[in-house]
Amino acid sequence: MSASRLRYVALSGTLVAFVVIWWGIALAVNNPREIVGPVETGTAFIQLFTDPPLTWLLAGALQVTVTSILLGFSLAAVVGVPLGLLMGRYLIVDLFFDPWVNIWYSIPAIAFVPLTMNWTGVSSTSSIAIAFLIAVFTIMINVYGGVKNISGSLVESARAYGASQTQVMTKIIFPASLPNIMVGLRLGISRAIEGVIIAEMVFSVVGIGGLMDSAADNLQLALSGALIVVLAIISLAFAEITKYATRRAVVWKESQALIRE
Amino acid sequence: MASSRAVPFSLRLAIFCASLGVFILLWEVASIATGNSLILVGPVSVLKAMVGLFQNHIPQGALGLQSADAAILQTLATIVFGFGLACIVGIPVGIVTGRWKAAEAIFDPWLNATYSIPIVVLIPMLYFAVGADFFAEVFVTFLLTVFTIIVNTQNGVKYVSNALAEVGKSFGASESQYIAKIILPASLPDIVSGMRIGMGRAILGAILAEVLMSGTGLGGMMMTFQALLNTPYMMAVVLLIALIGVGVLQLPKFLERRLFRWKETESISREMRR
Repeated sequence: MSASRLRYVALSGTLVAFVVIWWGIALAVNNPREIVGPVETGTAFIQLFTDPPLTWLLAGALQVTVTSILLGFSLAAVVGVPLGLLMGRYLIVDLFFDPWVNIWYSIPAIAFVPLTMNWTGVSSTSSIAIAFLIAVFTIMINVYGGVKNISGSLVESARAYGASQTQVMTKIIFPASLPNIMVGLRLGISRAIEGVIIAEMVFSVVGIGGLMDSAADNLQLALSGALIVVLAIISLAFAEITKYATRRAVVWKESQALIRE
Repeated sequence: MASSRAVPFSLRLAIFCASLGVFILLWEVASIATGNSLILVGPVSVLKAMVGLFQNHIPQGALGLQSADAAILQTLATIVFGFGLACIVGIPVGIVTGRWKAAEAIFDPWLNATYSIPIVVLIPMLYFAVGADFFAEVFVTFLLTVFTIIVNTQNGVKYVSNALAEVGKSFGASESQYIAKIILPASLPDIVSGMRIGMGRAILGAILAEVLMSGTGLGGMMMTFQALLNTPYMMAVVLLIALIGVGVLQLPKFLERRLFRWKETESISREMRR
């Protein structure tokens, strides 16, 4: 109880400190063409939800961005989790894929952007492709690490009692690596969000990232700031949902990575 | 880990070369099958474009573009400065927040926020605050890197084993001795792996800043060729960026494995945090 109260105090204190510092800098610079203060941003934020044309614009952009994130992430999860499990379980898959996963993982996300622009144009399909390409390797690496860290005695005793390969996979490996799968999914979704936003900012015509970028280009810094707040809220919401899902999925094992947050 | 250690390095290398060969072959076949040089160009023409890039054969419409080596140098300089700054700031902050509860209470909400909110959203605003010069690019790189380094350092310092800490305390180590002789060496593997992950962020930050802000360097070059629909040259630049990423990230990992054999931290064996 007192710990959670302390958390709220620290959190609200931080928020207040953030706004005060921001305000201070904005007042010190005193140039709306360089830094826009919290008051203007707040006004623009309220306007986003009360001014009908803006609200429609926001609703459309919000829909595009959120669907891109969800689709890119789901695709990455559907591909990444099974491949990660196979890589962890079978040495030959591991040897064949491991260098590639590491190589693709090392390529910065932005390098994929011009490729997808050529393939599917400046569209939400491109941002989905980028979210997928960034998230899938994070997920694979985490699932793979989870499978590899499973104690051999679990698998051996299952084999000794005559479990088939599929049974080993579904009854031992999957549950035992679930904490890592969840960590991978959580990191994956934050990378998917980043990927979609990067793509949209470069395309600067689709989604919230695009709206934000074009607002900044038109020197509507307050609007741009308000959209950053919207993006921050979306990201926080996704982070909270995945945190909740993780807690539900692995009640029985709080891995260190989960506790540490 | 045990099973992969058992495989000799030469066999791993042979299998990698085989899969590399298969990949390049598939790429070439796919590009011939597509038959559209806009969508997919094969490895051969990308290689030709790469040679052209280094011989300063600037394709039509891209006059006034930097030479390839100048662009590479600029990008590398941004990465190095941004990353260096992030280490100089991030490691001490990580040690302080890992060591003292009060500092952690102050910093944790900020760190958590940067963990969930992608910092890249700030770039369009930063453009107006700091401009689009070299300094601005370094600043973006710094901003994308520093929190990763703080979080990893903090984790390493926080989870220094109690046994070590107690021995230090009971033999009367002063605070500075305690930090220099116990905490730093014990958390070094985590700090280093944080730096490696941070390096990946630094590369992303530098290229992103070039694409979104200044339009120079490798990132700017890549987008220029994209706009000209000159796919071979664009792919050549993408390949250069990929090579920088792979070289800079995989080499330290190799060294890390060799140097810190005595401590396989979770982040090394498990291979990830952001």
